[in-house]
Amino acid sequence: MRVMLALLKREILEHRNIWFIPVILVGLAILVRLSLMFGNLNIEFEVPSQLQLDDQINSVVGGVLARGLNWMNYIITMTIMIAACFYSLSSLYNERQDESVLFWRSLPVSDTTTVVSKLLIAIVVAPITVVLCQIVVAFIFLGLGAFDYLAVYFGSSLYLLLKMIFWSLLPTVAWCLFCSEVAKKNPFLLAFVAPILLWVIDSLFLSGVIGDHIMLNRWFGFNSYTSVPLVYGLALSAFFISFAVVKRSQRI
Amino acid sequence: MSKNFVEVENLSKQYGGNTVLHGINLSIGAGEVVGLIGPNGAGKSTLLKAIMGLIKYSGKLSIFDKDPLKNRTELLKNMSYIADVASLPGWMKVKDLLQFVEQTHPKFDMQRAIELLKDTPIQLASRIETLSKGMKTRLHLVTILAINTDFLVLDEPTLGLDVLVRRDFQDRLVKDYYTQNRSILITTHQVDEIESILTRVVFIKEGRITLDFQMSDLKDRYIKLITNQNVVFSDPALKPIYQRALPEYSELIFHDVDTSALLEYGQVVTPSLEDLFVAINV
Repeated sequence: MRVMLALLKREILEHRNIWFIPVILVGLAILVRLSLMFGNLNIEFEVPSQLQLDDQINSVVGGVLARGLNWMNYIITMTIMIAACFYSLSSLYNERQDESVLFWRSLPVSDTTTVVSKLLIAIVVAPITVVLCQIVVAFIFLGLGAFDYLAVYFGSSLYLLLKMIFWSLLPTVAWCLFCSEVAKKNPFLLAFVAPILLWVIDSLFLSGVIGDHIMLNRWFGFNSYTSVPLVYGLALSAFFISFAVVKRSQRI
Repeated sequence: MSKNFVEVENLSKQYGGNTVLHGINLSIGAGEVVGLIGPNGAGKSTLLKAIMGLIKYSGKLSIFDKDPLKNRTELLKNMSYIADVASLPGWMKVKDLLQFVEQTHPKFDMQRAIELLKDTPIQLASRIETLSKGMKTRLHLVTILAINTDFLVLDEPTLGLDVLVRRDFQDRLVKDYYTQNRSILITTHQVDEIESILTRVVFIKEGRITLDFQMSDLKDRYIKLITNQNVVFSDPALKPIYQRALPEYSELIFHDVDTSALLEYGQVVTPSLEDLFVAINV
């Protein structure tokens, strides 16, 4: 546990720039909020003053605001998850590039523990950051009204977030870690080109099922998650992660 | 637990069809500073990598009675090594580095690390990449010296460093690490510099150990004759193992011979490790 915490801290320190992303997102939200108050952004309608105490009218206004916030939360989720993938792509590759892998491996920490720490950053710490960001942004826009909004929003979104982690994020991150460990020169190229090639070959010569189940459904089928891609995804993730561990353990 | 830290028995290693190590036998006990010395490509690093659990091998190898390949993580709690002095993560601050080692290595002593760092100009708040190469080496050594393990393995630790840093590195190794209960295994091809800190020397050539002796034997068993006479030693009991003609005089090296028989030809001294290394390897 102590070792795992030290490893997580190491990842956070090493990839400090990635942790600016939530700060930037919150900063943007603050800018938009300020612009609504003092700047050029206007909500196009104004509730006549005699109706401002009407509950029904207020709930409609609230609904519009909530929808705006939902959009913002979607952007937060996507940005941080994409950042998590870029993080996983660079993590194992970077330590090899600067040769620090030789030092890390001279300490009594197993390769499995190290790779798992990187995985945890991407599939646990990143989603927690998403939730924290969403909470902060809700308070920026709604003040104390955020409690009501978040209760409703998280009521449905946390389940979706969890689904997204298992269906989409985990396999993608596992793939990225695999590329990061395997790639000789450019993990980014490998990570993007290999799936595109697979998809092209699949759609040209096969029925499209492989591309669909392994990749497309995972990335674009958020609304139609079925259990088949989940099973494929978990199996592939296990393979990618173990391969990365074995490969790292053979570095000298 | 056997008394030896390291037991190597008939260890071989092949890369492709190329045999790099041929049936190496070696054991290292407590209180030794062993220099593994050989020309480039002799298999020094390969042997060390096997000992550090980094490569597969055939034959028997145990460190603290364990197979280093299978129990690597466990073993690293009792064995430290510096693979490459340029491998410290540059983005880290010195303080974070020490903290990381403290949290991951059960035998790391933070007090001692900070104490050792006080002798250096290194600041805890400095980022490692801002340190000079010499200071990085120093920091790496401090980190390793603050770990209370009994066996330290160093592979060409001072490669590419200037002579002051090299000398300082070796002196600190003896002063701050070495005790009767601990051992050091060190490879190098800078033979002359390391000579004074070794207690035992192992010469390796083309994957075979050619000579393994205590430093005290060097004085007792090997003799260097410096002579300006042009003598030919034909007597098999008095045959040099190596000779070198220089403009002013000749150097001859003898093994297990009667010193008194040589005194009439010139000056008799103890050969340096470098002399012997050359004598054995030509």
